Amino acid sequence: MMFLSWSRIGVRLPVVLLSLAALTIAACGNDGEDTAVEDERVDEADPTADQVDVNSPFEFDVAAMSYDDLPFAEVLPLEGGEFEIDGEVREIHLGFSQTGFNHPWRVAMLDSMVAEVARFPNVRLTVLDGEVDTLVQSDTVDDLLAGGVDAVIMSPFESDGLVPAANRVMEAGIPLVVLDRDVHTDKSLFIGQSNVELSRALAEVMVDDLGGSGRIVELMGVAGSSAAIDRSAGLQEALAEAPGIEIIAEGDAEFLRDPAVTLMEDWLVRFGEGEIDAVFSHAEESGWGSQIAIGRSDRCGDGIRQYTFDASNAGIQAALDGTFDGDANYSPFIGDVGVRAALMLLRGDEIPGAEPYDQPGERVLLPDLPTVTPENATEVVGLGWGDFEPPPDPCA
Amino acid sequence: MNAQPSSTIEHAADEPAVTSRPRGVVQRVRRVQRSDLTLALNKWGVLIAFIALVVAASLLHERFLTVPNLLNVARQIAIVGVLAVGMTYVILVAGIDLSVGSTLALAAVISADTAVSHGAFAGVVAALVVGAAVGLVNGLGVTVGGVQPFIMTLGMLAAARGLAFMYTDGHPIASTDPAYLEIGSGRTAGIPNPAIILIVLAFLSYIVLRHTVFGRYVYAVGSSEDAARRAGIPTNVIKLCAFVICGFMAGVAGLLYASQLGVGSPVAGEGFELDAIAAVVVGGASLYGGVGTIQGTVLGAGILGVLGNLLNLTGVSPFVQRVFRGALIVVAVMVQRKGGRIK
Repeated sequence: MMFLSWSRIGVRLPVVLLSLAALTIAACGNDGEDTAVEDERVDEADPTADQVDVNSPFEFDVAAMSYDDLPFAEVLPLEGGEFEIDGEVREIHLGFSQTGFNHPWRVAMLDSMVAEVARFPNVRLTVLDGEVDTLVQSDTVDDLLAGGVDAVIMSPFESDGLVPAANRVMEAGIPLVVLDRDVHTDKSLFIGQSNVELSRALAEVMVDDLGGSGRIVELMGVAGSSAAIDRSAGLQEALAEAPGIEIIAEGDAEFLRDPAVTLMEDWLVRFGEGEIDAVFSHAEESGWGSQIAIGRSDRCGDGIRQYTFDASNAGIQAALDGTFDGDANYSPFIGDVGVRAALMLLRGDEIPGAEPYDQPGERVLLPDLPTVTPENATEVVGLGWGDFEPPPDPCA
Repeated sequence: MNAQPSSTIEHAADEPAVTSRPRGVVQRVRRVQRSDLTLALNKWGVLIAFIALVVAASLLHERFLTVPNLLNVARQIAIVGVLAVGMTYVILVAGIDLSVGSTLALAAVISADTAVSHGAFAGVVAALVVGAAVGLVNGLGVTVGGVQPFIMTLGMLAAARGLAFMYTDGHPIASTDPAYLEIGSGRTAGIPNPAIILIVLAFLSYIVLRHTVFGRYVYAVGSSEDAARRAGIPTNVIKLCAFVICGFMAGVAGLLYASQLGVGSPVAGEGFELDAIAAVVVGGASLYGGVGTIQGTVLGAGILGVLGNLLNLTGVSPFVQRVFRGALIVVAVMVQRKGGRIK
């Protein structure tokens, strides 16, 4: 039931550890409190357990993911039930190669996928972990092909490095659905959101709040990553229309909390009271880090506004509480769309909304979800990802 | 630095009485061979470099030399400083510990989780125990297992990170216990607690390395393990202790991380091992072992911290900052070694 590249084991310690974890936890239902593995219980408790092979250290909580709450359930809609191809019901085996499971966002994407698979009794899903490494993920794609999947869904770690793996899927003559990050080669369908558009919308909320003039600092994501580049680009696009707003400092906060604390502390020394009007951060973690720095530096009185990305449940709560003035909703819940697209491609359906774009293959661009603000946060409370609490706001 | 350790070997091996004071021998040998200027540069080079950087920073930005900023810097260097103090022991015995960043993460997540379930004190104990336990495994692998420190801790770098992910399912663990957060976020007499903890641990380490038999053995093992063994020093025990202390310090750093940010994250501290090694090396230690001081290490961490602060204050682009940091490490070591005899 599991595809493991044994040649890797013994060389890569993390592979060994994660695989051992996977061997014991795979296809285990989540009872929410007991982490012990009890395989017998799973079969009766979770009707989807036998549909999902998972080489990942995570348990699935299908019940927690209400299908109706998925933000893109309207995109490429499909009726649930036995999925027929040419009037025939047979087992359909989908393979998913994920970038890695090192971030709850990546786990949430899988949750949405599992929720979709659960609607089709004859669809089975195998999930492999790319371990945030181009080479490892490339191997997982080969493992899926070797396992004889009917279609491959991939959320690539790297757009160029996974081109050969994507080509091998296309050469095998089966559908390839690429999620979130594109690969620069032919594919059946790319499904993604635009970081540039979401960032521009977030920046426009900020421009409005600031009345068109102000001085801001930018806490960028990992320098050189596509998300950081696109989020900066969206900000620049919005600021081109708002000449009264000036970026007075920018730094690499790596999407993390601790680098943001240091950067913001130093900027609060560099700029006096009232000189910074807003923080534009590429991730909630960095937003929270800068808020910690503001509290520690006794600068809560400056009323520095916070604009950030992620729309996790914690972030939505922080927007509701007024810590975040804007939180761009870059949703992980796109896995279900990928499953539906793969099934439709297997049946030979025309994909509604698919269009050629500047890369080989076709694309379905997901509608931009609105920026979460203190005003609209009640509408989306609990519909984000991740089950952690927001840190206390030192300025609240 | 590295002044003819071979002569140290002979002295140490010939005269049992000397084995308790191998550093004295090293210094005596140096004194014969070097001019006073060279010696001064070697001894005071880090301090001179640190003062020069602080003066430069004061001139380059008018707000550098303000109390709030200096307190920020003190807190900012505390975590890497504590890691570097632990790393000093391991480097002195001619080892290396690449796992401290991952150990920090493992200690941080377990500590934050324990603080939630069992209170702040348990959270502190958990961090220290986890850190020391990882250090113990490293030390046993090196001494009993006979694995090279680089390889052993490279394995642990991956394994401890993996354990942190397994423990948390990849999620950050928030800790909101006020007493726990006070450890990393609070101040005592106006000084950030992490900075005080760094100073205390550094002072204790200074005493241990300079004024105890154990400390002398550490230098002896690092200068020449063979000679130390022949002189009757339990070299494996000394090395094991060095790794346990290093792991313990990584546990302290994990505690500071989690209690300062209010969250134990499995991705915490990635790459911190390199910052810690850089601080030790900038502080004048030799990766060949036997040479280095705690005060040098703390100043090394200070140099890196002040540079980072200065680059942020003056608004240097984040891309260019990396180049500056890299160049500083090499230049700082070159300045100290200039005129010194390098093998």
